[in-house]
Amino acid sequence: MTAQVQATTASRIPVNKHKRDWRGWKFMGPFAVVFVFVFIIPIVYAIYISFFKRQMIGGTKFVGVENYARLLTDTNFWQAVGRVAIFTCFQVPIMLFLSAAMALALDSMKLHGTKFFRIATFLPYAVPAVVSTMVWGFVYGAKYGLVGSLNDLLGTNIDVLEPNVLLASIANINTWEFTGYNMLIFYSALSTIPHSLYEAASIDGATEWDIVKKIKLPELKGSLAITVIFSIIGSFQLFNEPSVLQNMVPGNAITTYYTPNMYAYNLSFTGNQSNYAAALAIVMAIITMTIAYIVQLKSMKEQMK
Amino acid sequence: MSTTTAMSLKEQEKAAKKAEKERAKRVAADEKAERKRSAKNGFSNPANPTRSIALTLVCSIMAIYCLFPFLYLLINATKTQADFTSTFGLGFGKTFALWDNIVTVFTYQDGIFGRWFINTILYVVVGAGGATLLSIMGGYALAKFRFPGRKACFAIIIGAISVPGIALAVPQFLLFAKLNLTNTPAAMIIPSLVSTFGLYLMWIFSDQAVPDELLEAARVDGAGEWRTFWQISLPLLAPGIVTTALFTIVATWNNYFLPLIMLKDQDWYPLTIGLNQWKDQASTAGGQAIQNLVITGSLITIVPLVIAFLMLQKYWQSGLAAGAVKE
Amino acid sequence: MRNGKKFIAATAAAATLVGMAACGNDANNAEANLGDADKAELVFWGWDSGNTMKDLIADFEEANPGITVKFNNTGTAADTSTALSNAIEAGNGAPDVVMLEDPTVTQFAVTGGLVSLKEFGAADLKDDYAAGPWNKLQYNGEPYALPIDSGPEMFFYNKAVFDKAGVDAESIETWDDYYEAAKKIRVTGSYITNMAGTENDYQPFTAQAWQAGAQPWKVDGENITINMHDEGMTKYVEFVQKLIDEDLVDTKTPNWSDDWNRELNDGTLASLTIGAWMPINLMNGAPDQAGNWRVRTLPQWNAGDEVSAEDGGSALAVVSQSKQQAAAYKFIEYLTHGDGADTMAATGTFPSLKRILSSDSFTDPDAEANKEVNEFFGGQNVNEVLAAAAQLPVTEFQYLPYNPFAQSSYGDQISKAYTGEITLEEAMANYAQALGDHGTQQGYTVTVE
Repeated sequence: MTAQVQATTASRIPVNKHKRDWRGWKFMGPFAVVFVFVFIIPIVYAIYISFFKRQMIGGTKFVGVENYARLLTDTNFWQAVGRVAIFTCFQVPIMLFLSAAMALALDSMKLHGTKFFRIATFLPYAVPAVVSTMVWGFVYGAKYGLVGSLNDLLGTNIDVLEPNVLLASIANINTWEFTGYNMLIFYSALSTIPHSLYEAASIDGATEWDIVKKIKLPELKGSLAITVIFSIIGSFQLFNEPSVLQNMVPGNAITTYYTPNMYAYNLSFTGNQSNYAAALAIVMAIITMTIAYIVQLKSMKEQMK
Repeated sequence: MSTTTAMSLKEQEKAAKKAEKERAKRVAADEKAERKRSAKNGFSNPANPTRSIALTLVCSIMAIYCLFPFLYLLINATKTQADFTSTFGLGFGKTFALWDNIVTVFTYQDGIFGRWFINTILYVVVGAGGATLLSIMGGYALAKFRFPGRKACFAIIIGAISVPGIALAVPQFLLFAKLNLTNTPAAMIIPSLVSTFGLYLMWIFSDQAVPDELLEAARVDGAGEWRTFWQISLPLLAPGIVTTALFTIVATWNNYFLPLIMLKDQDWYPLTIGLNQWKDQASTAGGQAIQNLVITGSLITIVPLVIAFLMLQKYWQSGLAAGAVKE
Repeated sequence: MRNGKKFIAATAAAATLVGMAACGNDANNAEANLGDADKAELVFWGWDSGNTMKDLIADFEEANPGITVKFNNTGTAADTSTALSNAIEAGNGAPDVVMLEDPTVTQFAVTGGLVSLKEFGAADLKDDYAAGPWNKLQYNGEPYALPIDSGPEMFFYNKAVFDKAGVDAESIETWDDYYEAAKKIRVTGSYITNMAGTENDYQPFTAQAWQAGAQPWKVDGENITINMHDEGMTKYVEFVQKLIDEDLVDTKTPNWSDDWNRELNDGTLASLTIGAWMPINLMNGAPDQAGNWRVRTLPQWNAGDEVSAEDGGSALAVVSQSKQQAAAYKFIEYLTHGDGADTMAATGTFPSLKRILSSDSFTDPDAEANKEVNEFFGGQNVNEVLAAAAQLPVTEFQYLPYNPFAQSSYGDQISKAYTGEITLEEAMANYAQALGDHGTQQGYTVTVE
């Protein structure tokens, strides 16, 4: 269906094509101005300072690409990148599957109490990351937490904060926080489908499943591209949950370079190395963009034309 | 900008209103016929299908997963500080102190929490409201106009948001400091005005929900771009606007990192920073632990968002109307 | 290049920003920054653990009618120092007066963010303060901040748990005695204490190593020597390794976590070696153990010694950006040395002024401020014990000029020894390496021994 709409739209575009059409800037302008102010200028500045080095002894000097060269051989950094990459591979598909399934269930209107489920799924998104991590930290506690009581009950000795499962425990917090968020996007995409389409399908003898497969899933594709890209960017910038959890996890399994973003933060704010942190940020942006492009950008561009 | 006379403006308005009325009528008729037909041929009406207990049960598991952390917040909001450390997390304390906690939250440190609450509302109304408006306009422009630089917008925006926000915090802070904007509401509001995610949502929605033929028709009728936007496009974008608004509201309401850097004047703190400051007090040497207030405060912080969601959710139904025009 | 205009505009704006940043750090005329000592509108950043700052400021303003003080609670010590370094980098927006944790003072002194207080006569106040806190605030032999509170390291213990294990805590003289006590306490199921090697353990670590006479790092101008295996460090490392190996300390619970409070509250943790500011935190964190806790001086490394150490403590400094430095100093002097110091001590802050430490009212068990605390400590006269400890001799100890990094890196490197991945000796060697690398990055000449 989407493809159809696009085809018709595309055929109509050439009307304005031969003449430069500035009208769009009337609408785009305000966003662009604020965007340049809040994002572009600071980014240009970050690129600029990434070629410098500030030292407590000796002050600031131009060092060319030294920061980038150092980054290439920084094992802490690459370990952190590897960690968020693994995180992304597992967490994003699981979360998006749950979101899409929930959106379809809500949209089917076959639930008792649709409104309740809609708000129940969305509600976690309303909780600030600091608070939700605090709550899950309690749940995970092997001694005083819920896991602890479970251990007492079953005589087991499970510890979900052990270094080798810690990442999965953090992934769970993120899934909890953002399933409702993505559900909402899917759900509102579904809500733009004209109901007469279902009706037409039913006249053709389509079953509920056919409708899901032939009408609803294709409609979700467009929103899927966005949610995938934003989820990838989000998990590559993982910061809040591990840093709040840091003080609750035994053995300091969450180091100051656990994720690239935590590393950048610590370099900048406790390490007095904001130039190096800027270089790190630029490299991270390039990595993130490359991955997003490989995974989804192409289909998204088609969507946008 | 436009040289249309007041007379023709009025006429146009009248015509638009008439068209809108007719459209609503048509939609209602369509819906009625649709319901009738599907009832007749036995197809489960998408507007009123048979409900499934099995599906409800499966979704209940999801709902429990989503909701039980709130149970923790609720239970612990009823505890005193002493009960918080000495009793089990999911059990009630020796005393029921919910009301005391609520009162203390609003009176602690001369009632600064109320101030933070008002600040947050200010930031949400101006910041998230503005962000929603800018996203609608930007998304609409990207979807419906082929303006110079349009294609680059996409790449620039994706590139910009791929840069870890934390590394941008320092340059952003420096920029605002140069303009003497730190420690003012502007430091919180201006960055909130940009919602790239909202822009995308509106881009997609505008692409799908506003038919080009409708715009062409309006242009042929001589309606200016602004009028077309406000009177014809905006109503069609309703579900997308509601979704975008919710996201920008939550994002502003829960914004933490930026105000932490930008604001050092307690009187301008939003709730998140204030609550975090209370939380940290427990781990300050000689500091008074007030976890009970942190938890009660968190709960109070969430309530307005729940209300906003409940108030906005009825607008999703208007997706039906948007679809009807699209046919 | 359709975006040419936009790009040029952005670049121009960025260039302006860069240009402005570059000239923000100009050293201003020192005298012009003094301002009028009797007329000023001061901005003060810090944290307010006891909620007393408002009253203190009101008292100060009453005594100095020309000066007003706007206090901004800037969160934790780390938040405050981050905010200060941001404002210094921006070249504006910094406060006149700032509260810092003692070990961070040097970093700001080195980078020129703070002014030396010597010209205001602060150097003459040396003998009025306890040696521990005072020593930490010197750079190049000049004071850069005055101590507002201090934290001589103390030994807090839960008498009920010790009694159960049949140990008389008052008879513990040396760390060897402590080790024997730890074994007996472990038999009852409790731990003598917790040690997890997180960054929150950094200050207790420095205190204990300091007490052992260790000098893990020495700073001499631009030269730093790092040595994690001098005599004192070896003593410390061997002792702690023994505790870890024999499961005598709880290595799973980090300081300041909710679980930590719960373990203090249910008797799982029998004691703590921590700063003298701990009583209020204990009363909050372990309400069920009211009446059971006691406090005494630290065990010694050598029998018969009387060596103390410092853990925590904060100080007030004047920021270089301030144009009202004279009035700012006046305010600092009031809070740390003048009448304000008495008010603070009366509301539970642990003082560093000898005059207060030895005053009768500070240790008076009938004083309203002391009653509640003493009751929690089973009727012990807490302040008397603390005040005595605060005046014990301390060994010289320096913090690294990049202390915030040293603290966060401690958690990264040392925690591995507490999970058993590597030995504490190996962890210390890695730590030395990390500190050395960082020092080199910052332009110091570092020798790792």
